[in-house]
This record gives sequence, C-alpha cells and structure tokens, in this order.
Amino acid sequence: MNHFPEAWGRPRNDVYGAYDHSYLQTTGPKAHTSSPAVTGTSVVGVKFNGGVAIATDNLASYGSLARFSDVKRLRTFGDKAIVGFGGDVSDMQYLDRLLASMDINENYSPRGNMLNAKNLHTYLAKVFYKRRSEFNPLWNHVLVAGFDGEGEPFLSSADLLGTTFSAPHLATGFGAHLAVPILRRKFPEGMPLEEISQEDAVQALKDCLKVLFYRDARSIDKYSIAVVTKDGIDLKEDEQIQGQSWAFAERIKGYGAQTV
Amino acid sequence: MFRNNYDNDAVTFSPQGRIFQVEYAQEAVKQGSVVVGLVNKTHAVLVGLKRNAEELSSYQKKIIEIDSHMAIAIAGLASDARVLSNFMKQQSLGSKMTYGRPIPLDRIVSQIGDRAQTNTQHYGKRPYGVGLLVAGVDEAGPHLFEFQPSGLTQEMAACAIGARSQMARTYLERNLDKFDGCSRDELIQHGLSALKETLSQDKELTVDNTSVGVVGVTNGKKESFKLYEGQDTAALLEVLEQRESAGAEAESMEVDS
Amino acid sequence: MTSIGTGYDLSNSVFSPDGRNFQVEYAVKAVENGGTAIGIRCKDGVVLAVEKIVTSKLLKAGANKRIASVDRHVGIVSAGLVPDGRHFVSRARDEASSWRSTYKGPIPTSALANRLGGYVQAYTLYSSVRPFGITAIVGGWDSEAELPVDGQVGTGPKSGSGGKVEGAKAGGPGLYMIEPSGLYWGYYGAATGKGRQTAKAELEKLDLSAGNLSLVDGVKEAARIIYVAHEDSKDKDFELEMTWISSVDGPTKGRHEEVPKELFDEAEKAAKQSMVGDDEEEEEKTQGEQMEE
Repeated sequence: MNHFPEAWGRPRNDVYGAYDHSYLQTTGPKAHTSSPAVTGTSVVGVKFNGGVAIATDNLASYGSLARFSDVKRLRTFGDKAIVGFGGDVSDMQYLDRLLASMDINENYSPRGNMLNAKNLHTYLAKVFYKRRSEFNPLWNHVLVAGFDGEGEPFLSSADLLGTTFSAPHLATGFGAHLAVPILRRKFPEGMPLEEISQEDAVQALKDCLKVLFYRDARSIDKYSIAVVTKDGIDLKEDEQIQGQSWAFAERIKGYGAQTV
Repeated sequence: MFRNNYDNDAVTFSPQGRIFQVEYAQEAVKQGSVVVGLVNKTHAVLVGLKRNAEELSSYQKKIIEIDSHMAIAIAGLASDARVLSNFMKQQSLGSKMTYGRPIPLDRIVSQIGDRAQTNTQHYGKRPYGVGLLVAGVDEAGPHLFEFQPSGLTQEMAACAIGARSQMARTYLERNLDKFDGCSRDELIQHGLSALKETLSQDKELTVDNTSVGVVGVTNGKKESFKLYEGQDTAALLEVLEQRESAGAEAESMEVDS
Repeated sequence: MTSIGTGYDLSNSVFSPDGRNFQVEYAVKAVENGGTAIGIRCKDGVVLAVEKIVTSKLLKAGANKRIASVDRHVGIVSAGLVPDGRHFVSRARDEASSWRSTYKGPIPTSALANRLGGYVQAYTLYSSVRPFGITAIVGGWDSEAELPVDGQVGTGPKSGSGGKVEGAKAGGPGLYMIEPSGLYWGYYGAATGKGRQTAKAELEKLDLSAGNLSLVDGVKEAARIIYVAHEDSKDKDFELEMTWISSVDGPTKGRHEEVPKELFDEAEKAAKQSMVGDDEEEEEKTQGEQMEE
C-alpha cells in the first residue's frame, strides 16, 4: 500500500499486477429482465353457459423452492372481470397496480361505461407487446375472464410477447400441456356453450388443478377459484384440493431414490 | 381602445371576479350561424344552418363527424373548431386502438373542457372562439353536451348556440317534454323546426344550407352516425314543410301528426 | 374600492403598497357568486353538498355532477368558476395517483389538501397565470383499518417481526377548505359560495366540534342548510347534490359516493318541510308548488 488514498483497500499492484479495468465495463448493451424470478404456475379457465370460471393455485416459487404459499393470483377488475396471472410475481404486482389505477380512473365517470373484460384484454395485450418491443418484457401469461361488449362470456389469454389467443377453455404454463387435454375431453370441440353448466365448469377446473398438483412440481394443493356471472364475481381464495389419491405414484419408475 | 383595464388578457380578473376575455370569446360563438342539438332515449340529433361567404362560394361545414359514434356541431371560429375536432378524433381513435372501446362521451367532452380551461388561465393563450354541441352514443345511451369557450361543458336535453339561437331555445323549451316519446324521424323534425325559428324573414331552409346529423341506438344496436347534406336533406325538408302546412291548417304551433 | 385605478390590481403576483394581492381578492369575488357548497365532518364520516343553480331548462336534469371523486376515498366540491373546479379536481386526481405510485396506498386527506394548497398558491406567484376562481372543499376518510399495500398478493407473517400490530387504529374523517390564495384550514363544518354566511351560521349551531353528529343526521343537516342558504337567491331554480364518505364499517365502506336516493329524498323532503315551517309569512304551500319554486 502507498500513501495515495485511491489505492487504499486495493490489492498491491506490485504483488498482484495492475487491476484489469475491462472487468468493470459499464458500456455495452443495456440488459432488462431476461428471466423471471419468483413465479406462479398454471392458470386454468373455462367458459360456461352464462359466465366464466377461472382458477390458479396459491403458490409463488423461487426457482424450485416453494417460496410463498398464500399468493393470490386471481385479481378482480370492477365487478365483471377477472385476471389470472401466471409467470413473474413482481410483474404481476406491477400489473395489479396498473389495473387498480385504471379501476380508479374508470370510476371517475358516471356508471355505465366501465371497461369490460374484452377491453381489458385488448389493453393488457398492448401493454405486453409494447414492453417486449422495448426488450423489457413483463414476464407473465394471463387469462382474462368476464364479458364482452355484447354481454357474452369472454375468455382470452395474453402472454409476455403480446400474443393473444382465445378459446372456450384455456390454460397457461404447465396447464397448457396437462389441463387443456382434460378440458378438451370434457368439453369437445363444437359442444355448444349452452350445454356447459357452471357446476360442470367448476368441477372441470378442480379436476385440472388436482392433476396439475400431481404432476407439476411447481404447484401446490391450495388454490383460488372465481366464477364470473351477470350477478358479479364469486371469488374464493383459500381452497384446498380434495380427494387426492397418490396411488398412481407407485407405478412411476425411473427417478429419485427408487432402487428397483 | 379597450373598454376597461381588465379585458386585455385572459389572466386578469375584474374587480367583480369576471374574466372579460372569456366573455368576449363567448360573443364569437354568437357570431356563428346557429346549430341545434337534441336528444332522447334512443337518438341524438344535430342540425345546423350553413353559411356561404358569397353566392359562388361553398358553404362552411357545421357538423363534423368525430367517429362512428359521435359528431360535433360548431358555432364560432371554424378554425378553432378544427383544432378541437382533430384532437377529439385522435382521442377517439386512441381509445378504439388501446381498449377496443368507442370513447365514452363524458370523457372526451371533459378532455376538451380541460384544454379550453387551460387557455383561460395562462398568459399568451387565448380562449377558444367556438362553441360546440357534442352528440353521440356510448354504453350509457345517447348524449348531448354543450361546450363553451370558458371550458364549461354541460350535458343537455336539448340546446342551440349561435346567431339568433334564442329563438331555437325557446322552441326547444316549449317542446322539451315531447322529445322522449319521439321516433328518430320526429326528433329530426323537431330539430329542423327549432332551426327554422331562428331564420330571419327573407331566409329559408334549403338543401344547400341545411345539415342534419343523427346517431342513436335502435333495439339495443348502435346506429352509426349519419350525416345528411345537400340532396339528402330534401326529403327531410319536405316532411318539415308538410308538417308546417298541416300545422298551419290546424291553426296550431304543434305539428305532431 | 381602493384597488381600482391604482394599477396594482392589473396583474397577478403584484403587491399593493399595503401588501395585498388584488388579483387574488378578485378571484375570491368569483367564488362569492357561485352556488353554495358545504362540507360537514361527522363522527363517522363526511358529507358534501352543493346548491346547483339551474341556468337553463334545457340542462339534462341530474346529469351535471359538481362533486367529484378523487381516488376512492376523497370527494371535492367547489364554488366559483366551474371549469377552474374541474382543473383543480384533475390536479387532485393526479396527486392521488402519483401518491399511490410512490407509497402504494391511498393518499391521506390531509396530504392531499396540503399538496393542493401548494398548487393553488403557485397560481398566485406569477404574472403569467391567474389565480383559481374557486374555493374548494376537500372531504375524505382515511382508512383506520390496515389496508393491503397496492399489489400485495400474500398476507405475510401473522406475528413477530414484520407482523401485524394488534388493534392499532389510525385514520378517520378529514375536511379541508382551500381558498384562491392557496390558504387552507381543516374544518368541522365548511361553507363557501354565495350563501356561505347563512350556511356558516347554521353550521355553527350544530356544535360539530363535540363530535356527536352522526353521518346520517349530517346528510339531513346538509340538505337543510343548502335549502336555508338558497333563500338568498330564492328566485332561481336549483338542484341539490350530496355525497358522503363513511368508514370501512359504515354505509359507504370507506368510499366516496353519492348519497343513496332513498336517504337523499328523505333529507330533501325534510329540508323543504323545515323551510315551510320557518317561513310563517308565506301561506302553506303544497308539495307540488314547492317543487316548482
């Protein structure tokens, strides 16, 4: 060490060689979020005669760690729309605040002109697309449930790229692989909405969540489920998956501590 | 040169708390030719009297479509109206783009109101010299708003602004309770009758000087804004004439058949 | 008036030799011509009421609201230049929204009044602007319950470090009145506009500082006071508009809302009746004639 203050606390050049400043480059491309941190897994939604049902589990994972087990991933907007969030939880919180400020703004106008679920979906998809175009994506995949301008049940998805997709039943994340086949079996293509009751839709969601809990390692058996009808939103946030049977697990071979 | 020391600009209050520049701007509205607006549970109607600068010139547009669900009628400085209507078109388009929703009327009206208010509170700006009637339909049904240079916007059941508009307002006040039971066509006729009241002796409504705009909802379905000008107004004016002569025969002001 | 002709009253932000800003005083004149507006701070909420003079028969009845919401828990009513009032409300909404984006929660009424006071005061500082031609009454309820932070998704620990404090209470009703000078005070009962003197006299009778008046009674008093204050401009038609804000446990659940029709009608009817009772010189009028007045 010498008497120059700028050298204090530095390894001695005569011992370690001059410091290589190239390690401290501040120039170069600016980097934004390139992977999510704390994440929620699948969202599942089904349209039925007179409304839409939507469900998520209550887990937020930090990598493979089940970090938070009471996270509400269904967020209401007004009394006729609901958004289910998969993906990054902090980005979900950002979007939730955005939705809250929109809700406040909407209520400044007299009744009768509230944004419906379809309007909300259009908007959210634009937000996602704008952010990904700035290389600063909001790392989510959402389902928006509610009603469109004609008063018909509405269910549509938007993802971190701004991609939108709509179908009578939808699932994001792992659910897109595991839940959609189940829903397609229960509600085959061409089945009129009028033939799907609210009870069928809710039961289908519960079945999907159970299968997802069996097979998705980032899921948990506590879940939230919401039903949107003309009467409003019925949201339950502290549910428990019932009637589990792990018998099937016995037949699964080829991983873990199994020796046979 | 000035009437007093307090009317040089829009940022000076008079000792009575008035802002003369704003009041003078309201006078500019009265110089414009008359426009009438009226609304009932299903439709909103705008009618306007167009003026031409000289015999061979074209007529100044009085009704401007903002979007398929909304239009404005103007009285006063037409160039100021164009600034406002361009702004309204942008906002309306923006709402359709971002939300897929036609902009609610009260929103866009308060936006132009706020813009106009700014012009009355900052030096170097002047109030808009135009009054507007904004008619349109949104999720809450048909609406009619009046916009004034002061930035004041009010929702009206019926309204008339511009030169000699008092006569039209008197007509509207007298017939106000009839509008709600009116059909689309009857509402237009009431608008034309109100407009006609404002004409001086030597003037009459013709296909050249009359504009009619209608927007509404029929059986829950939105009916896009429709503008009648030129020969399109001929049929409407004909009905007006029939009703008036029928009314004259019955020796009554009322022309409901 | 000593101000006229001196030249000190022609521009904003100019002091006269005796230390007055005449343009601000003239702005107050604009307020004094506006319809009466009042606010009452009750023990379990706040009531706002305004007398809307009906300038034309062609106005759509009941459509032109003069009391505006800011965020969900604050209401603002003003007397004076209506477009200035809208500007003021729009600023209040911006303040509330920027507060939310910084602190992730609703703005306390006192903080909102403070920021708006600062904003209005700024319009007395420059010759390039004019003061606001309004006096605004800001009423709100700051939640005493523990609110979730905006965007909060979980409940967090139930006890221990970072846990909840049992039974902690904060918040309550707030009522402030902001003048064209930017000056503002907190009030138990506030009145501005044309009938403010009458309204103030009535408010003082209520002994509001004792904190006994209930919200529902406050609504009825507000209606009555607007009717009493209207006596000064009896020849003009007017519409009454009233809003209220209660605690989370109260009828509005902490939100600023219009007084529900049933209670509104009851309050207005009682107000009309009290006017008939007061005015003994006038012959008794039927309800219908009262309506047309």
